Amino acid sequence: MSETKKDESGEEARVGVYICHCGGNISDHVDVEKVAEAVKDIPGVVVSHTDMFMCSDPGQELIQEDINKGNINRVVVASCAPSLHETTFRGAISRANMNPYLYEHANIREQDSWVHHGDPATAKAITLVAAAISKARGLKPLEPIRVDAASHTTVIGGGIAGLRAAVDLARNGIKVALVEKSPFLGGNASQLDRVFPTGEKVADLIEYLTSAVAKDPNITVYTCAELTGFEGYIGNFKVTIKRKAPEDEATQLMLKQVKGAAPGSFHPFVGFYPGDVPAADEEETLTTGVIVFATGFELYEPRQGEFGYGENREVITLRQFIRAMADAPATTETLTIDGRPVRRIAMIHCVGSRQIPGIHEADENDYMNEYCSRTCCTATLQAALEVRDNYPGTQILDYYRDIRTYGHNQEEYYSRASEKNVLFFRYEPEDSPVITKTTGEYPLKVTVVDKLTFNEEVEAGVDLVVLATGMKAKNIDSLVEMMKLPVGADKFLQEVHPKLRPVEMANGGILLAGTCQAPMDINESCNAAQAAAAKAAALLGKGFVELDPFVALVDPDRCEGNGDCIAECPENAISMTPDNKAEVNPALCTGCGMCVAVCSVNGIDVQGWGLKEYENMVDAIVKF
Amino acid sequence: MANDTQEGKILILATESCAYPGANSVGQAHSSYPTNTYILRVRAPVLFPEHFYMDCFRKGISGIIVMSCGEECPYEGAYHAFAKRIDNVFQLMKKEDLDLRRLRLTAICTVCNRPFLKEVNDMNNLIKELGPPILKGEEAATDTP
Repeated sequence: MSETKKDESGEEARVGVYICHCGGNISDHVDVEKVAEAVKDIPGVVVSHTDMFMCSDPGQELIQEDINKGNINRVVVASCAPSLHETTFRGAISRANMNPYLYEHANIREQDSWVHHGDPATAKAITLVAAAISKARGLKPLEPIRVDAASHTTVIGGGIAGLRAAVDLARNGIKVALVEKSPFLGGNASQLDRVFPTGEKVADLIEYLTSAVAKDPNITVYTCAELTGFEGYIGNFKVTIKRKAPEDEATQLMLKQVKGAAPGSFHPFVGFYPGDVPAADEEETLTTGVIVFATGFELYEPRQGEFGYGENREVITLRQFIRAMADAPATTETLTIDGRPVRRIAMIHCVGSRQIPGIHEADENDYMNEYCSRTCCTATLQAALEVRDNYPGTQILDYYRDIRTYGHNQEEYYSRASEKNVLFFRYEPEDSPVITKTTGEYPLKVTVVDKLTFNEEVEAGVDLVVLATGMKAKNIDSLVEMMKLPVGADKFLQEVHPKLRPVEMANGGILLAGTCQAPMDINESCNAAQAAAAKAAALLGKGFVELDPFVALVDPDRCEGNGDCIAECPENAISMTPDNKAEVNPALCTGCGMCVAVCSVNGIDVQGWGLKEYENMVDAIVKF
Repeated sequence: MANDTQEGKILILATESCAYPGANSVGQAHSSYPTNTYILRVRAPVLFPEHFYMDCFRKGISGIIVMSCGEECPYEGAYHAFAKRIDNVFQLMKKEDLDLRRLRLTAICTVCNRPFLKEVNDMNNLIKELGPPILKGEEAATDTP
């Protein structure tokens, strides 16, 4: 190993090392004084301190004093996981007027003192700190990449999440293009009636948002529209929006229902109709700073014969049932649907959710929905309660695997359902309820092995079977392909991190709102939409965006212009300069490092995460 | 200052969005595992060329576990390029008569505590059984791609 390294200014690396006790979390198992002593003679190290809490003000001041005295130009803090305090220490360094990227973090709590004990834990801490020092010595000062940003957001999807995001963005003074594929706003929510946990009419929620959209001059609504072109990067995307007259049968049918209605009105089970259906194709290209995905979900369609669906007109989905209830006469003792009295209803949970290989049937692509759709339990119980409240002569039999009324004020639905004499049966997926036709008093019979009565087989005649179908990821393959979006194994769009960056995708400037990401109820969709709007406003508010500087950089002295990196880059972020050197567009680069591995002359590297630094860390791990 | 044990060392390349927080989750659960494991935080393991792995073995690293995000990789195309690269490394390992099990590719999520512990313990048992890595010869040692 080289004994010392110089940074770009020609200064030799002088590393300050700070080891945290974490109030005993670390020092109870790691002899931190011994670690500080052991690393102080490593070449390049000029100070080696310990402190009870490095993240405290006195701890941070320790670093700042050494910087201000001119003692150090690199910092290593050995403490908890970097996700907790890497930003804290970079901030402290920055406030002492040192470049915050001349910093490396050693994780000696989660990955040492909490999993190892005694001398081996101390020995490992020494190794981890030595490795961090070897990386720190090679670090170069970096600047965030600053790019001008258009104060404009494109929201894809005019459902409840898209509407919520558009309204919030516009109120922040950001112009919004709200792009909706259908002629209507409101999305899946328009297909509902009353919604949990408040029991409000969904029409009221949609009208509240659509009237705000209609009034706001910052929002331009594009219905019957799709994104057909996409290029650029955060702050400077170029999107092409194409509008065309809807051709599919279902949409034609819905348009018939609103024929003659005034534009700007809400129609139950159709949506908010802004009017303005294009007669001919129209196309427009916009510059937009951020793109918010609010493309929503698709409802699971039961297979032919699944719980008798498609074979019996008395077997319907929960969504069809909600619609039928809205059309039913309101003042009868017993619910009437299609002129037939409904004396007893079987409601079956988890249809098309929590599917298990070997038990459930995969779709034509060999795919199954193994996740919980989260919203159906409460929605089912809400529908059950509406029946019991309004039609006391109609009985409800509820067949469930588990009841997941998990959200705020939702458990009440379960307890109220019991009070209202909804009768529960619990089934195992391998013993799912079986629906058969009968010629007796009821048209259908439900047979189930009931876990609540210790596997007793229970038969019941019913007039109607309601299937609580789950949510599926919507097919947005063309957008995924065009924008190269990350998709999870469940086919929903994927965030960078479920907790720390929950509405961001790895592609800078592309955000997530609502059920395009995962099954969510309306509350959660609006939460996500508001988070995405706030994130977009924060990204665009300054008029420029600062990008993570951890992107690839070409070393022109080494680059031989063979173009391997250009061919490898999935983001098309690398091009060739006229003098035959590769050049990275930092705004497009995601810093994945694919280019680094294919360069035979090490002429390209990811800044801050350089291959050479990794090699140095391995050397330190071997040596210490 | 150095570890006084002669046990082999295991290098773990852990992705910052999945496996690295996964290892932290094991820490939060205070689940113990062998100390001879050294985790490097990586954005995507696709950054490492074939020779990086061979150099690690040459330097004396006994086992390498790449803990990636698997199919959940947030970088477009990176996982498949990486899987292909690991195949190339296996070819190079074969040439050097290195036991292929010394390099392990696995997907570890942010809460995959049990799989993490299993991978680490399995590798530790393996390197105990195999001993230090020995590459074929000096002339082969300079034959990096």
